[in-house]
Amino acid sequence: MPFAKKPQVFSAKINELTLGTGDKATTLGGQNVFNLYAFDAPIANRPKLGIDVSDDPEQPSEGLKEFYAGCDTLAARAKKAAELENVDFVCIRFDLADPNGANKSVEDCVADAKAVAEVVDKPIVVAGCKNTDKDSDLFAKVSEALQGKNILVLSAKEEDYKAVAAGAGMAYGQKVGAESAVDINLAKQLNVLITQMGVSGQNIAMNIGSAAAGYGFEYVVSTLERVKAAALSQNDNTLQMPIITPVGIETWGVKESTAPEEENPGWGSAEERGIDMEVETATACLAYGSDAVILKHPASIDTLARLVAALM
Amino acid sequence: MKGEIQDKLPDWSVIVGTTEAVQLVKYLRDEEWKKSYVDKSAAASSAGAAAEPAPAPKKVIPAPPIVVNGPYMIDDKPVTYKGHDPNAQTFVTIGERIHCISPVIRKAMDNYDEAPILKRAAEQIAAGATYLDLNIGPAESNGPELMTWAVQLLQQNFNNVPLALDTANMAAIEAGIKVYNRTNGKPIVNSADAGSRIDFINLAAANDAIVFALCSADGIAKDNEERMMHCHNMLERGLHLGMDSDDLWFDPLFLVIKGMQDKQMDVLNAIKAFSDEGLKSTGGLSNNSNGMPKHIRPIMDSAMVAMCMMQGLTSAIVNPNDLRLMETIKSCDIIKNNNLYADSYLEL
Repeated sequence: MPFAKKPQVFSAKINELTLGTGDKATTLGGQNVFNLYAFDAPIANRPKLGIDVSDDPEQPSEGLKEFYAGCDTLAARAKKAAELENVDFVCIRFDLADPNGANKSVEDCVADAKAVAEVVDKPIVVAGCKNTDKDSDLFAKVSEALQGKNILVLSAKEEDYKAVAAGAGMAYGQKVGAESAVDINLAKQLNVLITQMGVSGQNIAMNIGSAAAGYGFEYVVSTLERVKAAALSQNDNTLQMPIITPVGIETWGVKESTAPEEENPGWGSAEERGIDMEVETATACLAYGSDAVILKHPASIDTLARLVAALM
Repeated sequence: MKGEIQDKLPDWSVIVGTTEAVQLVKYLRDEEWKKSYVDKSAAASSAGAAAEPAPAPKKVIPAPPIVVNGPYMIDDKPVTYKGHDPNAQTFVTIGERIHCISPVIRKAMDNYDEAPILKRAAEQIAAGATYLDLNIGPAESNGPELMTWAVQLLQQNFNNVPLALDTANMAAIEAGIKVYNRTNGKPIVNSADAGSRIDFINLAAANDAIVFALCSADGIAKDNEERMMHCHNMLERGLHLGMDSDDLWFDPLFLVIKGMQDKQMDVLNAIKAFSDEGLKSTGGLSNNSNGMPKHIRPIMDSAMVAMCMMQGLTSAIVNPNDLRLMETIKSCDIIKNNNLYADSYLEL
């Protein structure tokens, strides 16, 4: 009996979310099949790759130090990163704004963001310092300064979704990232709450949590999978927002990526380990539900770009 | 049923009791009602008194054009229909409140008066109804025209809300389906049975509609063996006519607890039997609490719907403005994993 192929195509689809403007704009989501299931139906938009650039000049690896050599400002590093062919968008991250750290002022962050927007024509994603009070203010001010650039702010959390949704989404029409930490019910609830405030579901992306492979990563994968299953098979429009997952900040913070080779000669080159961790984690995210991943290393981005191209 | 009798006997006040309800099908089908009506008239005229003059024929007025004046507002908030995915696994509620038994609706339908109909539609949609039932009674003088008008009135005002077309008048259902917009789901033919109304399955098949299939023929099925016989009989007919089995929604016929308490488990087991065969199901759920005090009914209806959903009931004709009932349905959908939980699930 010949094999009869039954494509698993859903009547529901993931929302399309466009970031940036002009011919460099990039669109996430839009598919009506599970992630990467291009054999079931054509994928509307291939998964997208972002590069993570911090305002902190410290780099987690020799390779990255070399790559950004001579780039003394956030804008210079962002420009260098954006020039990589396979980068779809640039995520600028204000680590130094943390009040418990360098406590860089919001005004300085805004000036940095403006400088980035001057030299980068690819879409911009803005990540904060993880302090909710500072981030609420930061996102609102950066959203104002970058009005019309169609940026995405990462992220609105349970603690600050009101301020972020109002300050970035409603006041300046920027896209809003809803962040939860591997909690599928909260992921849905945040989308509901942000939508109830008046931000259209079409303008929301989700970051439902991330981890490096080996660090509770199976919970991340299971959450990704269940969100996509509910979005597509149950046509749950409170979960049809595309998922964007910052991978680099997780994988470049674990010892498997950063421990020097001298300490563990058996582990081999630290640079290669770091890239491997990033590639492996990102690949699993894309396979289970992420519509975009944010990476740090140019070599990881090239590898993922080839993988995605081969699968589409 | 009560509406049909009332339509035929406009000057009567019709009260449906438990035992009487069982006999209604026969009473109508065999046209016994006509006989008794004629007998009564004859008796009246033979008495020579000027008792009960024959009712004047109903004046037929033409349907006015439909005008949509922006979104319908309740408490300054626009009422918009949320949309419905026909493939969704969640429980389907069919709002029962646009029914010509209600004097307000009857009068509105007689005069093509939009306001009372739109008001009830808006209230039910705001409360989360998936479908709206549109009962126009037999509407013998103007069925097709009235149904066409009402379908367009509701769909144009409320984002193509899906409808159950509820009348014994086949021409009216066909006319309604002709102008029906399928964006949020197929139209429902309400209803067929395994007896005199079996042709309503053909009507649904010919018009690519869903049909409610009442598992009874001459009065209430005496046991589940008979219920399932009717079910299979109607299923076979539908499939033979090219229908998808998902488009026949089987109704076990909910029975009133006050009077038929010993039959309740039969109804629940019938639902399980439908579900085990992968069939969809429905019914006039609130019939179970008929005759109970007003404050008891939402409690009994909620308990009933929860037990029915456990058995696999996929939809019901309900009053969506019964908050307790709607909250129970949403909670059961969560427990059945038909919908992902979020703290705001009752608001969705």
